[in-house]
Amino acid sequence: MKTTTISEETERDWIARAQAGDRQAFGELVYHYREGVINVVYRMCGDANLAEDAAQEAFIRAWQHLPRYQPRSPFRNWLYRIATNVAVDGLRRERDTVDIEDASLAASSPGPETVVEHNERAERVRQAVLALAPASRLVLVLREYEDLSYKEIAETLDIPVGTVMSRLNYARTQLRETLKTYLEAA
Amino acid sequence: MEHVLDWLPAYHDGELKNGQARRVEEHLAQCASCRAELEALQSFSALLHESAPAATLMRPDRFVAQVELRLPSRPAQTSAQRVLETGWRLIPVGLFGAWAFVQTVFIVVAGVLLLQGFPLTANLFSAVLPSTSGVSWLAGQQCFTDTSLGVVWCVADYVISLGGILVVGFVPLVVIGLLYWGWLAGWWLRRQRRVVYVQ
Repeated sequence: MKTTTISEETERDWIARAQAGDRQAFGELVYHYREGVINVVYRMCGDANLAEDAAQEAFIRAWQHLPRYQPRSPFRNWLYRIATNVAVDGLRRERDTVDIEDASLAASSPGPETVVEHNERAERVRQAVLALAPASRLVLVLREYEDLSYKEIAETLDIPVGTVMSRLNYARTQLRETLKTYLEAA
Repeated sequence: MEHVLDWLPAYHDGELKNGQARRVEEHLAQCASCRAELEALQSFSALLHESAPAATLMRPDRFVAQVELRLPSRPAQTSAQRVLETGWRLIPVGLFGAWAFVQTVFIVVAGVLLLQGFPLTANLFSAVLPSTSGVSWLAGQQCFTDTSLGVVWCVADYVISLGGILVVGFVPLVVIGLLYWGWLAGWWLRRQRRVVYVQ
């Protein structure tokens, strides 16, 4: 999911003001990056309600760490890095209480009304993505859904580009195998 | 004909440079199996996008308002904090400067002591530095050959002199090394606190 475009100058201005403690400027940043952050977390945890909460948590962490943000890397990547950490923390907490795969599937089990709303294939894709190991899932989400380049993913997750490529390759191979039926039918 | 299967994911993601992308395209134009693999990758991406993004329940302005309400108070970074932060970043530079200084002093002192032992330069140094005592290796040799001095005194003097040089030369280096490792540990801890990495 791509966010709407704003000029670099405007973004720099919002960041500088937010770093100086301006909540309204930070609110602009939240409004602008809200969708992307929610989606990153959603793709990681598979639950829209949890995703909104976790996204709020990510923005709060971003606010706390904002004075230390260095504009060397794009703000979006920095924010996604925090969001992915929040998502992974959430997954760890979830894993401590229930089996992560069961939790993901339970959360995604369609109720009577959602059967109508959701396409079966889309639901199966979502489940297959959620069944990936978090490290591979994260790389896949940032590449496929957030359209980040390998370099940007490497910066966001603080891993080498080679690792990004191998994790992405692994995730794709796994998913293609899991979703073989749908791919062959296409 | 060499296939380009390994290059296809990067090509599909738009990650290849012009020359590499051109080579892949040239190959694709004449290889049906690689074309099929590329199409499979494209279909796979399309299938992934069938999974809809999060159906957000909150209106954007409400979401923003809720975040703003939950924001803890964070005083803006004061100029003192900024100075401290800059100072923290400059610590390794300062340590390197201290290390270079100590090394230079150590080398110069060692050189002076060595030259003191040579007959040609000893006079010069005794004129410039009349109070310096023989602590160089060569001076030590003379001490051992001079029977008027007791051997025990000679050895003790030599060990003390050498020990002095080692203490003067190495202790600051050890201290600098410890400070650097301490700074590195602090940097690592700060980094860990800031970001939890996914492995």
